[in-house]
Amino acid sequence: MIASACLTLAAISFLTWGRNREAWANLFFSLLAGGTAAFAFCELGMMRAGTPAEFGTVLKWGHVPTWLIVVSLVGFARSYLKAGRKWLAWLACGLRTLALVLNFLVGQNLNYREITSLRHISFLGESAQIAEGVPNPWMLVGQMSLLALAIFLTDASVTVWRRGDRHRALAVGGGAVFFMFFSTVQSVFVFWGIIRIPITASLSFMCMVLVMGYELSSDTLHASELARRLQKSEAGLHEIEERMRLAVEAADFGVLIRDFTRNEMWASDRWRALFGFSETERLEFQKILLRVHPEDRDALQSVLERARSGYGVYDTDFRVVLPTGELRWVAARGRVEFDGAGKPAFARSVSHDNTLQKKAEEEARNLRQALAHAGRVSIMGQLASALAHEINQPLGAILRNAEAAELFLQGPSPDLEEVRAILADIRKDDQRAGNVIDRMRGMLKRRSLDKRPVEVGELVRDVAALVHFDAAARHITLDLAIAEHLPPVLGDTVHLEQVFLNLIVNGMDALDDSNGDRRISVTAAVDGPKSIEVAVNDSGQGVPADQLKHIFDPFVTTKPDGMGMGLAISRTIIEAHNGRLWAENRKEGGASFRFTLPVAEKDTAK
Amino acid sequence: MSEPLPPIVHVVDDDVSFLTAISRLLRANGFSVRTYSSAHEFLAQRDTDTPGCVLADLQMPLISGLDLQSALAQSPNPLPILFLTGHADIPSTVRAMRDGAEDFLEKRAPKEKLLDAVNRALTRDSRERTARERQRELRSLFDTLTERELQVLSHVVRGQLNKQIAADLGLHERTVKLHRTAITTKLKVQSVAELTRLTQEAGIFPEQISTFPKGQ
Repeated sequence: MIASACLTLAAISFLTWGRNREAWANLFFSLLAGGTAAFAFCELGMMRAGTPAEFGTVLKWGHVPTWLIVVSLVGFARSYLKAGRKWLAWLACGLRTLALVLNFLVGQNLNYREITSLRHISFLGESAQIAEGVPNPWMLVGQMSLLALAIFLTDASVTVWRRGDRHRALAVGGGAVFFMFFSTVQSVFVFWGIIRIPITASLSFMCMVLVMGYELSSDTLHASELARRLQKSEAGLHEIEERMRLAVEAADFGVLIRDFTRNEMWASDRWRALFGFSETERLEFQKILLRVHPEDRDALQSVLERARSGYGVYDTDFRVVLPTGELRWVAARGRVEFDGAGKPAFARSVSHDNTLQKKAEEEARNLRQALAHAGRVSIMGQLASALAHEINQPLGAILRNAEAAELFLQGPSPDLEEVRAILADIRKDDQRAGNVIDRMRGMLKRRSLDKRPVEVGELVRDVAALVHFDAAARHITLDLAIAEHLPPVLGDTVHLEQVFLNLIVNGMDALDDSNGDRRISVTAAVDGPKSIEVAVNDSGQGVPADQLKHIFDPFVTTKPDGMGMGLAISRTIIEAHNGRLWAENRKEGGASFRFTLPVAEKDTAK
Repeated sequence: MSEPLPPIVHVVDDDVSFLTAISRLLRANGFSVRTYSSAHEFLAQRDTDTPGCVLADLQMPLISGLDLQSALAQSPNPLPILFLTGHADIPSTVRAMRDGAEDFLEKRAPKEKLLDAVNRALTRDSRERTARERQRELRSLFDTLTERELQVLSHVVRGQLNKQIAADLGLHERTVKLHRTAITTKLKVQSVAELTRLTQEAGIFPEQISTFPKGQ
């Protein structure tokens, strides 16, 4: 029974080893189980032996599986537990081999010099034969080998225990040690004739095999569980990889990976296209750097250097000049990985084409500057009366002084002292006037009004594009109804844009509290042969009738945080264009701000 | 009537430089000039009965030209006022003119225009001064009338007949006739038309004088 169980286990393990030649533990286990099975047969043979000679022969041959058991146990412990001192292993195996040799050379077998008789005893309800004779003193060698094995196993178990794998140390190591001692002690007592029972070492070996088999198979189960999980996570990884690829493709990102240790670079096709490299061209850092606009190279180098020298990340943008001469903006973001010694090992980066965004930013900046300037100019227009006052003060004084001096000089005996004082005052006032003008020029810097033929439709569309996002965010619909074939008007684009902007933004503000239709419509149509009329209509509450007349006055506002300058500036601008700006309430609700602009005559462009 | 005092041109401007310049010009043209660097200074120093006119800057700190105008209008010597400004803006021009400013000039207005305006203001002052004088004389004449006579007069100038006046005031018609005789004697007038003109000139019952007599 023991033998068949052990054989089954041996077969399974052997098959496992057959499938995986690296699984040495399985091979040793299979040998161990085989040895145990063979030993069990021998024990059975001994129990059933008819003559002392027969018993001796079986016992002699029983030392072969014993040798196998010892060697395979050592092998198993070394391969499965990965512990145990080598010299102990060699000692155990060497002694056992010596014992095996002595078994065949000295006496009837290793245990008995001579078996004199057999005794029939009853053992566990079965009848069994046990031998009686002269013990062979060389038997000590075998028993020493068993002792060495036990010590080796104990040492291995302690090592495993210390390593933290207490379960394995106890089950495999402890189990092996326990059953080893058990069988060693039994053989000592039996063969030295101290107690008289049959040899049943196979029973303890069997227990050992079972414990080890259990451990081994639970390991196999664990391994298969791991394999399953690995498979699952591999599938997940694949999915993540797919998603990443999709995201990278969708975002139009180029990927570059640099391996510092091997000095290699890998780039995705998109990256190569971005920097103007062919799909097969070998990439080098210097080559890439040459593609970067000369003005941006130093900045990029220092950003990369900082990331490489420990900062670890970078996020920058620069211009790339393609071999075709085309210029594009690239935004790059990367991460550097360091090895144990803190040296850069890998750098991974994603880059994308930033040209459109950069262009838009630049346009917006220009537009903002222009608008700011226009605002300044317009505010200067508003302040014109204050400035005129300030400048007319010294000019008036100069004039009056000059007139007085003239009169004095016409007299018969002019008071030259007085005239001299007058001239000094004139000089002083001239200085004053000059200062005022200098101040004004400083504020105005650019030209004030540059009139050229302007397409109103284009102008309206530009401004609509500018406020488009703002309108959308405030849930306001912007309708444009520009009549076709409108003649161009004579005007300053920047100033007129400011008027449009002002009126549309005002309209949007008027809709802030409106729950109904939130709509602003801009219409433009001819108004007679020489003028165009533009209207900005909103669907708000309209302007209270008593305020209609005053809303264009400076500092008059209906908004809680308004300056009251917008409409005043707008009117100043329109009037500077020889147009008219006014407001009315629409029958269908809401306000309508309208202005006219003169059509540019064809012969005005001299 | 005594010989009138020589008129004085009062110039009020916070810009001292301009103040000096314009006073030089006015003096060179034979005007008597007094200068003040603020409206406050002018209102404090001004004597109450000298003829003349005021030339004031419109934009001055603390008391502006327009404030000065209203303060002046309520004083016993309401001199005509002329405004000067660096740059004329419409709303303040309108207000100044509506409140009776003689003129509104930019500081760099032509000399002739400026001098004309000053002369006009002085003429207006002397005219208004004569009118005020005559009014005062007439008032003292009217002061001789009794309460009852003034009552009758107020009805007469409205063109009512004796009978109506008698009914309105609860008097006998003959008593009304007697009052009328007393009035014409005291005021030294011959006709009702003359009486009405005099009453109007003296500014008695200003609210009762209407273009169209009542009831027509």
